[in-house]
Amino acid sequence: MNKRILSRSPRNLLFFFQALGLLLLLIYKGKAIDKLTLATAGGLVLVIYLSNLLLTKITSGDNYIFLITTMLVSIGIIMIYRINEGLGIKQLLWISMGIVLFFLTYFILKKIRIWENLTYLYLIGAYLLFFVTFVFGDRRHGAINWINIGQFSFQPSEIIKILLIFILSSYYSNKDRWKEIKNSSYYLMGVIYSFIFLLFLQKDLGTALVFYAIFIAIQFIYEDDKKPILINIGLFVIFGLLGYSLFDHVKIRFQAWLNPWKYIERQGYQITQSLFAIAEGGFFGKGLGLGHPDFIPVVYTDFIFSAICEEMGIFTGIGIIMLFMIFVYRGFKIAISQDNKFYRILALGISILFGVQSFIILGGVIRMIPLTGLTLPFISYGGSSILSSFVALGILQICSEEIKSKEDLDEAGD
Amino acid sequence: MYNILAILFKYIFIIIIYLFIFSIIRLIYLDIKGMEGISFDDVAYLKLINRKDSLPFKIDEHYIIDKVLTLGRHGDNHIVVKDPYISKEHFQIVEDEGEYYLEDLESANGTYLNGDKIYDIVKLQDGDIIKAGQIEFLFVNRK
Amino acid sequence: MKQEIKRIILVLVGLCLAFISLIVYISFFQVFKATTVKNNSYNKRLWINEESILRGSFLDRNGKTLVYSEKKDSSYERHYLYGRLYSHIIGYSYREYGKAGLELQYNNQLLNISENAAINELKNLVSPTTEGNNIKITIDHELQTKARNLLKGKKGSIIAMNPVNGEVYAMVSLPDFDVNRIKEDWKTITERPDSPLINRATQGLYEPGSVFKVITTAAFLEDEDMDITYDCTGTANVGGYEFTDYNKKAHGSLDLKRALAESCNTYFTTKSVEVGKDLIGNTADKFMLNNKIPFDLPVKNSQFPYKGLLDKTELAAAAIGQGKVLVTPLNMAMVASGIANGGQVVKPILVKEVLSKDGKVLKTNTTEILSLATDPINANLIKEMMVEAVNSGTGTRARIKNVKVAGKTGTAETSSGKSHAWFIGFAPADEPKVAVAVVLEEENSTGGTAAAPMARDIMLHVINNINE
Repeated sequence: MNKRILSRSPRNLLFFFQALGLLLLLIYKGKAIDKLTLATAGGLVLVIYLSNLLLTKITSGDNYIFLITTMLVSIGIIMIYRINEGLGIKQLLWISMGIVLFFLTYFILKKIRIWENLTYLYLIGAYLLFFVTFVFGDRRHGAINWINIGQFSFQPSEIIKILLIFILSSYYSNKDRWKEIKNSSYYLMGVIYSFIFLLFLQKDLGTALVFYAIFIAIQFIYEDDKKPILINIGLFVIFGLLGYSLFDHVKIRFQAWLNPWKYIERQGYQITQSLFAIAEGGFFGKGLGLGHPDFIPVVYTDFIFSAICEEMGIFTGIGIIMLFMIFVYRGFKIAISQDNKFYRILALGISILFGVQSFIILGGVIRMIPLTGLTLPFISYGGSSILSSFVALGILQICSEEIKSKEDLDEAGD
Repeated sequence: MYNILAILFKYIFIIIIYLFIFSIIRLIYLDIKGMEGISFDDVAYLKLINRKDSLPFKIDEHYIIDKVLTLGRHGDNHIVVKDPYISKEHFQIVEDEGEYYLEDLESANGTYLNGDKIYDIVKLQDGDIIKAGQIEFLFVNRK
Repeated sequence: MKQEIKRIILVLVGLCLAFISLIVYISFFQVFKATTVKNNSYNKRLWINEESILRGSFLDRNGKTLVYSEKKDSSYERHYLYGRLYSHIIGYSYREYGKAGLELQYNNQLLNISENAAINELKNLVSPTTEGNNIKITIDHELQTKARNLLKGKKGSIIAMNPVNGEVYAMVSLPDFDVNRIKEDWKTITERPDSPLINRATQGLYEPGSVFKVITTAAFLEDEDMDITYDCTGTANVGGYEFTDYNKKAHGSLDLKRALAESCNTYFTTKSVEVGKDLIGNTADKFMLNNKIPFDLPVKNSQFPYKGLLDKTELAAAAIGQGKVLVTPLNMAMVASGIANGGQVVKPILVKEVLSKDGKVLKTNTTEILSLATDPINANLIKEMMVEAVNSGTGTRARIKNVKVAGKTGTAETSSGKSHAWFIGFAPADEPKVAVAVVLEEENSTGGTAAAPMARDIMLHVINNINE
């Protein structure tokens, strides 16, 4: 009994947090808030609360990852709405759709279990998406990675990310079958490197880095032969150096990282504006609505963390980092307790995806590592980012449950 | 006026976020401790003798016996063991007037009590070792 | 199986370490770096706050306005009435080029904001600041103008200060720049080889030459066993190096008093080896060399590295202000002040008062004794020697009719081959009202010829015009 009260408490805290945030925004924007927005926001608070409640009923797996995610989403939406109402409302819709997609993914994966053997399908899908990007792609912030369909635009690389994890999972969980093909590890490496190279051509360095990190981590865990791993690391170094000397945009980012103050007018402008914001915020922040997020470039997506630090303090910032850390920990715990190898690797891949992506962008905006443009999962504004993140979350949710093998299903049936 | 509120709220936000993190960590901690958190003072239970991570399937350290406890490969059992050496319904322990009885459910590979294969219902004593497939349990009665 | 779990945990540990390093880094950044970053002039937030506040004015010691701000349209415009004259003292405050001088050091007072962010926050809630404080400096505008005119066309620095209470009456450093034309001239200002941005009075390090002998003399007086007589032949060999007097002139038999008055190099080089490096070094320390001088503007430390390896020749060279000794003009003005003030070196003061807009005095800089450089008896002896130097020695061009002037000239040889001309002194000798230091960089003339007359004009002006 005692335990049940406790398990409800973070959910209540989350609810409390959202309600207070809503109240404060209401006062901040004053009469400008219309009833529809208010209803949407109130609706979302309710939906999140109920989703968390519902999840404990329908899943036999993990209860924490969705809770953590909704906390991150709440912090993000409060900040985005405070900076720009229009985007805030759009983000509200994206999140609602994201939650729907989460449940949809969850149920589809629960009912259909054919995913282990579709390696070639994933491959074809990924290359097709790359092809589409190059043909119909649109350039934003220096990277060609957007596609416009009607008035909506989306980033195919967000979907390819998930396909990549499926490719790796289906390959390594069927390792024995692939052994029949000689040097299959190297073919896989070739495929992943072709992805990374294509991302490089799109100037999407951040995503390329995330792809590489997922690949090398999974390879490290599941490749028995050390040689491909060493070759992989060697290639990374070579391509890194090559990229640095051949591509100006790589060099610029590196210089801006080493000495942003020297190039403050140009290359270092973004990162220094971010540092100003974090420094101004101090430990507790200036207070919501009292900072100047409008001074920070690309504040809705890449630099949302700096704006949060300015107005809500680095204590909130550290809180976000800790939430991501707990999330990753839970993801790994899910993987370790999962008996089905395919789903175990899926869980690992998704946890590494969120962990690495958040680390790269967080480290970038605080100038611990060179800055590469990426969204902060669940917090940054953006339809593709939010939706794909929720799909990935749905997959992780399935992975946290006991997967009955085909044989078991048959047995249960008789 | 708004300023005062904003400054007040920023502290509240931080407190809530950290309470949230704290409560999640606490829940996870309780989760890990899991069965170990339950007191074994007044119950009868099975304790796993094998090292948990040496077994290639999912199993817990402790199982409390409440009236009846069944073990088998099928999902309806109290203890579900995904081991080919375990039958769908392997054995059960039944309580009757404060005493516990072990019964093999006609398993293919049999159930062993203190090294001897059993064929009938056997009364359990505190400290008995039950073996099925590669799993070994210690029977503990604290009643 | 086990291998796999082990590797999974390894990856997890790696990721957790990465997150922890983020937390450590951001905390480190906030604790140690944030203040510097925040105050970078590119941080627009600084200006957002500042542009809503009327920045305070600067006044000279007599209340004459030197710099003020005025509302124009929706923002404030800053007016520097004397663009060049105060370029090193008051400095400037521009959005694009940042801040310098007192505009930088007293920024918070000028904007009437507290250094503590939390207090500011609370204060802004109750009553937002709209007007900054005014700052009254100790500079006498007329004297400052005069000093700059004297120095015009040359490189170097002039400092005049009150030796008793430490107030700086004039501080000029040339070349300077026009604060009002900083936008147009920025490139030339920053790239010119003679660096007009540097305040030579506080940041310039010069070989002191013979003016350093005042310090050496103070050290000699500490050593009661020293034989003060010497027979000068015009050259002296110390540790294998031949030291010569100016024009190799033989001064004949002399005591310490005549040696200082005649600025006899061989006397000081020979005797310095007798008393040793520690005594001279300690005395120099007491005159604030090698020490941080607290001032309203940042000051470079003068250097006399006697604690390391210093052979006889190097010590002898240092005793006459050559070789490894480097001093700031401000420090030498303080040496003169110290002798004038009976051995007590007082802290130099540039900001007299911080005044609120309605004229209330918020902060006063009070006189502070930094060091007891020598005892009053020795100070008096040195003073008499310096009076003799002016009356009948190298510094005769600093003489003022009816006023007893104490002084010491210096001509410092430099590695470039062009010498610096120095003069330090004070007047009236028995009741000092002003101490001065004049240095003319690479003037290639003697201190007695080039620097002493300037010092004379400055001292005369103070005696006639400034009444404390």
